[in-house]
Amino acid sequence: MALKITISKKFEFSASHRYWRDDWSEEQNKEAFDLCVSPYGHGHNYELHVTAAGPVDPQTGMIINLTALKQNVSEIVRQFDHKYLNLDTPFFKDRIPTTENIALVLFDLIEAKLNELPGVLLDRIRLYERSDLYVDVWKE
Amino acid sequence: MPFISLSRIYRFSAAHRLHSVALNEQENRQIFDKCNNPYGHGHDYTMELTVTGQPDTDTGMIIPLPRLDKIVNDFLILLEHKHLDREVSYFKDKTSTGENIVRFLWQELESRLPDGILYHIRLWETNNNYFDMGKEL
Repeated sequence: MALKITISKKFEFSASHRYWRDDWSEEQNKEAFDLCVSPYGHGHNYELHVTAAGPVDPQTGMIINLTALKQNVSEIVRQFDHKYLNLDTPFFKDRIPTTENIALVLFDLIEAKLNELPGVLLDRIRLYERSDLYVDVWKE
Repeated sequence: MPFISLSRIYRFSAAHRLHSVALNEQENRQIFDKCNNPYGHGHDYTMELTVTGQPDTDTGMIIPLPRLDKIVNDFLILLEHKHLDREVSYFKDKTSTGENIVRFLWQELESRLPDGILYHIRLWETNNNYFDMGKEL
């Protein structure tokens, strides 16, 4: 089995959201989304783990400089922090900001950003909504 | 398309005793040590359950959380505050080690969950030991 080495950094953001489909009845919404249908939204302290892979630079001993990783990912996280995800961001006009969908959006944004840096690939992300719920997104 | 999974953490508390009928008293004490204590002992188990699949386009979820919670909690209630060896038939002839409990959880939850979505189970017995069972292992 091939050995693999990665580097991970943790980020946090706080945001609110609401799960609701206008084309469904209130009953259907409650059945699928339970408490998350609360009309004015509710919030979480999200925790994001970003894992990058790539060759270890023989001169620096690093896959990616942690400061560079922090700067690049923080630019993206800032767009989510202290926002009402449904209305304050452009990402959830046509989809519900579930943990799955937030993680998929973050994965695409972070992947595109890290692709600008030579030799670094986004390996996976893990997004905690709370300590008892998280979503992983990765490519093989 | 990237892969995506959702993990949810559940807890249950149960008693057990590690004791194999295939071994004599002395062998049981030697192998299982303090876990062979005659009247059992207990743990607060933590289960990290991971499901995978493309999120539904309507709900944005792999499986609606209320549905997932109901399936899992309806099952876990069978173990909650029970003595596994005495009250759960699966362990009549198997020691209730972490390995066997995680196998039992897998078997039971796989049959209760929608087809093919169960991907991984991590069972924490204490803060210091855990057992994994999953499709990618």
